[in-house]
Amino acid sequence: MRCILHLLRSLSHIHYPRPRPHLLVFKRAILPFILGAITSASVSQSACDHVVRGAVIDDHDGEGLGLAEIRVVELARTVHADEEGAFILDALCAGRYTLRAVHVGCEPVELVLEVPRSRPLRIRLEHHVAELKEVEVARERPDENVGHAQQHVDAGAMSREAGKGIAEMLALVPGVSTLRSGPTIGKPVLHGLSGNRVLTLNQGVRQEDQQWGTEHAPDLDPFSSDQLTVVKGAAAVQYGSDAIGGVVIAEPVELPRGSGTSGELRTLGILNGRGGGANARLQGGIKGMRGIGWRVQGGGKYLGDSEAPDYVLSNTGVREAGLSATLGYRDYRWNASVYNSWFSRELGIMRAAHIGNLTDLRNAIESGTPWYVGERTYAIEAPRQQAAHQLLKTEAGYAIGPRTHIGLTYARQSNDRQEYDVRRAGRSAIPALDLSLITHTGDAVLKHWLGPHIHGKMGLSGTSQVNRNIPGTGVRPLVPNYRRRSAGVFVLEHFPVHERLELEAGARVEAADLAVAYYDIDDVLRTPDHRFTNQAWSVGANYRTRDSSEVRFNISTAYRPPHVSELYSEGLHHGAAAIELGDPDLASERAHKAVLDLRAHGCGGRLQADVTLHASSIDGFIYLRPDGVSLTIRGAFPVFRYVATDAFLTGLDATIGYRFDTHWKWRARGSTVRARDRGAGQWLFQMPADRIENSILYTPAEKGTWNALEFEATVLSVFRQQRVPAGLDFTAAPDAYHLIGISAGATKAIGKQRIRFALRAENLLDTAYRDLLDRFRYYADARGMDVVLSITWSFGKRMDG
Amino acid sequence: MKSELNQLKSMNLEPLKPMNMDHNGRNRKMAFALGAVMLLLAACKKDEETAPVPTPPATNEEEVITSLELHFHSSGGTEHKHFNWRDLDGAGGADPVVTADTLSADTVYMVEIVVLDESGDPVEDITAEIEGEKEAHQFFYQVSGSTTTVAYADADANGQPVGLMTTWTAGAPGAGTVTVILRHEPDKSAPGVSTGDITQAGGETDIETVPPFPLVIE
Repeated sequence: MRCILHLLRSLSHIHYPRPRPHLLVFKRAILPFILGAITSASVSQSACDHVVRGAVIDDHDGEGLGLAEIRVVELARTVHADEEGAFILDALCAGRYTLRAVHVGCEPVELVLEVPRSRPLRIRLEHHVAELKEVEVARERPDENVGHAQQHVDAGAMSREAGKGIAEMLALVPGVSTLRSGPTIGKPVLHGLSGNRVLTLNQGVRQEDQQWGTEHAPDLDPFSSDQLTVVKGAAAVQYGSDAIGGVVIAEPVELPRGSGTSGELRTLGILNGRGGGANARLQGGIKGMRGIGWRVQGGGKYLGDSEAPDYVLSNTGVREAGLSATLGYRDYRWNASVYNSWFSRELGIMRAAHIGNLTDLRNAIESGTPWYVGERTYAIEAPRQQAAHQLLKTEAGYAIGPRTHIGLTYARQSNDRQEYDVRRAGRSAIPALDLSLITHTGDAVLKHWLGPHIHGKMGLSGTSQVNRNIPGTGVRPLVPNYRRRSAGVFVLEHFPVHERLELEAGARVEAADLAVAYYDIDDVLRTPDHRFTNQAWSVGANYRTRDSSEVRFNISTAYRPPHVSELYSEGLHHGAAAIELGDPDLASERAHKAVLDLRAHGCGGRLQADVTLHASSIDGFIYLRPDGVSLTIRGAFPVFRYVATDAFLTGLDATIGYRFDTHWKWRARGSTVRARDRGAGQWLFQMPADRIENSILYTPAEKGTWNALEFEATVLSVFRQQRVPAGLDFTAAPDAYHLIGISAGATKAIGKQRIRFALRAENLLDTAYRDLLDRFRYYADARGMDVVLSITWSFGKRMDG
Repeated sequence: MKSELNQLKSMNLEPLKPMNMDHNGRNRKMAFALGAVMLLLAACKKDEETAPVPTPPATNEEEVITSLELHFHSSGGTEHKHFNWRDLDGAGGADPVVTADTLSADTVYMVEIVVLDESGDPVEDITAEIEGEKEAHQFFYQVSGSTTTVAYADADANGQPVGLMTTWTAGAPGAGTVTVILRHEPDKSAPGVSTGDITQAGGETDIETVPPFPLVIE
């Protein structure tokens, strides 16, 4: 209790900037540093008040590297060394931290810091630049989004969750849940928003396949990324339209720059679906050509029908295959890279979820069991989807001056999708929907330095996109042909006021042009044109208290021009058993979002808490409102119209961890969202229910050649959503459910090679449940128990650095 | 002191070698690469400006059903009656038009079903498509408010009914309704399905005549 009080006090306590006497101390201590001697030391008494001093020096000549940047990865905290390379990290809790030192013209270095540490730390960087003596900092990643709460799914977590899709992995972050269409299709929901309201960046490029609608999973290969980041703010200034709920960033680790090859081979066995997967990755540099790095990766997944506790979920097989290759070059002035990836996926849509009309839907709900249950099989029949995503990205950058850097990016992505329906007269083999979406994006970003208290970046971005329906489907296209072009300009400045306080402000203007071509219900070709101009701004602040607690606050705006289907839908949406009608007069959605994030440590570093509060107000929020029933020869269908309302969403995400000793830890993650339709005075439809996940983690000490041992037991509780709009859903919200999961992992080191064994069991008690965010909950239970075994063999330098 | 230094050195993940390449030469190469990227960018820009919005393929909806007809022939061949259910503008739009002749009490009719797509020219007969996939289709006739009975008069290769041909025995005079339902991929072996009970048929509905046909018997 006392320590919680202490924590609260530390959060509420405001530390005003003080004069910095330690700089003077450092000036005096510089000479010994340069001589390579180690002089000063400081250990403080109380738990989160440890101080570590150090210097960043040039490995060649022992000179201090002025204005280098030192980042404590776990705390997301960055300090800058002074002109002589000296730095101080204060208010640290005891524990292990990863430090990352960056200096322009040097290869970044990571090392492990054990706190408390009495001796000063010396970080050696290789610095080559005679001609760039005055170099400083362009920060390696100034796109830190000051004030935006952000959380990661790191390489370790991604490997523990191997076998899942990107959306399921993201659900590890509190505040993120998954919108499903059966076991095979999932997309992330962030703070209650999904689809076109969450922007996905894959390798820094906007993922465009979400332009098509709700029943499409992002075509992203989980094996091609090493880290997923969730930015929980309306970060439109930096990333452009659609970032209303937030941004999901999937990215690989940096390319190696030294010589030496490393690699990894991973195999997966998956019980539920009786399948598995494999992925291989190789990376390295080229001897004698320092600065060049390369990586190739390829893998896939193969699953048959999934099983619910009581029956087979027929036709839910999945096939995935992905390949990617990167080649890059980097020195102190130049960087350039080429990335090419291909990802293909074929998946079955649960047979029992394919229905003809409202009567069939009512029958399915009344019977409570799927109307079609076959033998478990690997075959994928209609209805099914096939999607391919290809991305080519080229990037080049140049340090124009000591503190100025320009970066250019060009990317081309193609997204192809075929959907096969159950049709008569052999037409099941002909796609009922056949779309090709080709997008070119270009960005130019100038990072500039106007002084130690103001620096940032400005940029231009352009997009050109063409959506085409491939002829021959014999079905009226659900999404018309269109061409969308947009151009944006932004500026984002950071104001590091002093060591503890950093401010950020930015603005963006973007214009978009949308030209549509479609046949209306009377078979008349129509080619309307729409223009949208939007602005966004953002202000944020990071404030760090003396004991490493951190407060982030950000208010920003975001926008989303209406999607073509929201403007021009006109007809029966087979997947949804509904008639959907668009409205060509819809305007852009405009959102204001405020996020407050508190990160604190207490009880001598034993207690860690990260709490995010968010509130957003969205004007012109577009959704489907029921509008009576229409009669067709297939029977009665509900009619839905795309209408705009004003929405207000608010919520809280939290992660709290308590370390009992070096081996045992408890962790809770939870989130809650409240969403109102202010126009109708109703709750918003399909909002995630409150959820909490409790875990006990046990990390035993190394045993011989076995290390990185870890065990985890988790109970996930998802409560019943009480706040549903009246008369919008076909059935009541599903009951609460509780799922138990366990996992274990261990690595065996054999010389320079490592083999990692990991076993994970989900829904251990084989609980039958249905989730509110599963669009197939009307037809069948969710997946039952699953056990996944993964074995990873790796060699060379660690890749998950 | 010495050991500390060593320790610090070993903390760096990889000690780096000074590089001794010719900077200028490489810069030229990189400048070339940068130029190439910008060229690419420019090339695409041009490409886009000249590309119009692709015209979509003409809508030739293939699987539309607009009309369902029931042709009644009395057993003596003396009476010919027709039921018609038409929704020419497809899903949404205007409501369907339903017409039905009056049947004679206590008469047995052979009834033939005809399914049409009348949205295009020429009119397409869908009945043949259904006949070609007999095993995967079954019609159900749901009579309400009348003592009229409907029995299947055809079978697929598995000996299960299809419902393209049926035998109707008109009941006592009065007014009721009949709903015709076509199920795609039903489970014909489920209990009751082969005698016309739809409850456990499953499958998905391809046709459901809402509103139903009026069934008037004199």
